[in-house]
Amino acid sequence: MSVLSITDARIWFGSYEALKGISVSVEQGQLVTLLGPSGCGKTTLLKAIAGFIALDAGAITIDGADMTGVPPERRNTAMCFQSYALFPHLSVYENIAFGLRQKGTAKAELESRVRASAAQVSLEAQLQKLPSQLSGGQQQRVALARALAVRPGVILFDEPLSNLDARLRDQVRFEIRQLQKAHGFTAVYVTHDQAEALAMSDLVVVMNAGAIEQAGTPHDVYYRPVNRFVADFVGTANIMPVQVIGEDPTRDVYRVNSPLGELEIQSNEAPISDRIYAMWRPEDATAADHRDGTPNVFEFNVKAQSFLGNLTDLVVSPTGSDVSYRIQILGQTEIADGTRKSFHIDSRKVRFLKERVQ
Amino acid sequence: MNSRRTVHAYLLLIPGLGLILAFTGVVIGMAVSQSFGFLNFSGESAFSTRFWQSATADPQLWRAFWYSARISVISAVLAVALAYPLALWLRKPFPGSTLIGAVLKAPLLVHGLVAAFLFINFISFQGFLNLALVKLGIIARPMRLQNDPYGIGVVFLQVWKQMPFALLILTGAVQAIGEDILNAARDLGAAGLSRFRKIIVPLTLRSLQAALILIFIGAAGDFSFQVVAGPTSINSMAQFMLRAQTSGMDGWNVAAVVAVLLMLLSLFGAMILAGATQFFARVGRA
Repeated sequence: MSVLSITDARIWFGSYEALKGISVSVEQGQLVTLLGPSGCGKTTLLKAIAGFIALDAGAITIDGADMTGVPPERRNTAMCFQSYALFPHLSVYENIAFGLRQKGTAKAELESRVRASAAQVSLEAQLQKLPSQLSGGQQQRVALARALAVRPGVILFDEPLSNLDARLRDQVRFEIRQLQKAHGFTAVYVTHDQAEALAMSDLVVVMNAGAIEQAGTPHDVYYRPVNRFVADFVGTANIMPVQVIGEDPTRDVYRVNSPLGELEIQSNEAPISDRIYAMWRPEDATAADHRDGTPNVFEFNVKAQSFLGNLTDLVVSPTGSDVSYRIQILGQTEIADGTRKSFHIDSRKVRFLKERVQ
Repeated sequence: MNSRRTVHAYLLLIPGLGLILAFTGVVIGMAVSQSFGFLNFSGESAFSTRFWQSATADPQLWRAFWYSARISVISAVLAVALAYPLALWLRKPFPGSTLIGAVLKAPLLVHGLVAAFLFINFISFQGFLNLALVKLGIIARPMRLQNDPYGIGVVFLQVWKQMPFALLILTGAVQAIGEDILNAARDLGAAGLSRFRKIIVPLTLRSLQAALILIFIGAAGDFSFQVVAGPTSINSMAQFMLRAQTSGMDGWNVAAVVAVLLMLLSLFGAMILAGATQFFARVGRA
């Protein structure tokens, strides 16, 4: 049974529909990420799960119980806020103990759970300090320990890493995932950072304008995006309108006309239309020495490049076209700007999107 | 910071802080000196405790002292008790909240003496309240409401006048509490009263104490409300000080004794109120 089930959730702010019939199920021990740009409704949905915003239609159940009309203080959830929301007048110990005191936990049990939660996030030595005496990363860990201590059915994370610097963000992200796996807690995690979503999640729910565009594993949303929005939002994508012109059913290969020229796409899923969008990732193209008749080898003009350390990001255009594509080459490349270079695009890496060309 | 820079820092404070300390010091120093016979306006200046002896032997002084203490404590507590829920209500803006806030703060623009006369007009024997009650058949004859013996009118006027001041201080403090902090408390199981006791009160304690102390000190030294609307059978400390000053040859010196006692009342009253709020906040948080 799902720990958390959201069915056809709708919220209006005046005439603006912030959530347009969201349905999601979260299983025990899953970490589900709500991923989307600012204003897509992901935080609104999280606040609705916590009970801070009431649904105008639809239902939320936690552990099978309908949450309609149940105030936040009586829901089996705990939230980690973007701002940490630590109580500034209470010590780290008292912050972690707050939820347990509210539940009337016995003194000995409270003491052991506070110390255990602090140990889980390596904060045993900081228990007597005030939040203002801690670094941003430590404060985020206190917020996590505070949530863990009450052992809620679902932990809700509202962009918890957005106030941390890049290095610390990677570290805390890893720690949260490790803790989640070790203790098996169920979590809903809101972020607009696709790398965070891909790295942490069991299930990624990509949202846009109050609706779900796609829900799937990180692998699915990255390699099998359903439309241009998901393809473009999750990672970098080269999206092209294509016209299906032929098919070899024995090899699951489709021949298409694309802005690059004739292209082969190997797909075990048939395109939903003859005129459809297809996409490939920048890392799916490899340098090819000659255009020797091999399918999917195209010549590009290298317009610009940026060295990113572990790879080089090229902006290229097909000969005779102004349309730009992105290609990423591992390591540093000797290719100079303004030169022509052939690249091979693996037919297995090109995907049909489920979006027709209008 | 080396000692030279420290000295510079203190020197820079002199024009502002020095002036305040000088004026305060002069006033307090004069009052204390006169209460002990120095800086005497009506005779030879020499140390004497007789003014203290004669003033403190007067039972009317102690009646005035405890009356002022009682009125100011009740006024301060009531004003803050009324302002607190209003500040919480106005914490988040809603349609009309600016207008409501402005109306609630309007008494700040009305002079205390004007307010006292309006109030007397309202509750007097032939005033609007009595006439309305008689016309509505609730009472048969007008009641005597003005200058009541318990000082209820003075407390009413103090609260009416000082509540907006407390509201001003508390609104800022309450608004400074982040929404996320209250939501976090709620999310961890704290219902309304629990959030108030454990989060709102501790985080607004300093402002609460400031409001209580400022209102208390203002009410303890009240003169105009007491003269217009106060009981006729008892004086406030300020009223008693004026009466002492005009009472005879030693008037200035006895009035100085009353002034020093009034300052001590303000000082210790403020300390007791601050301590009491700290204590109740700690008890509430537990």
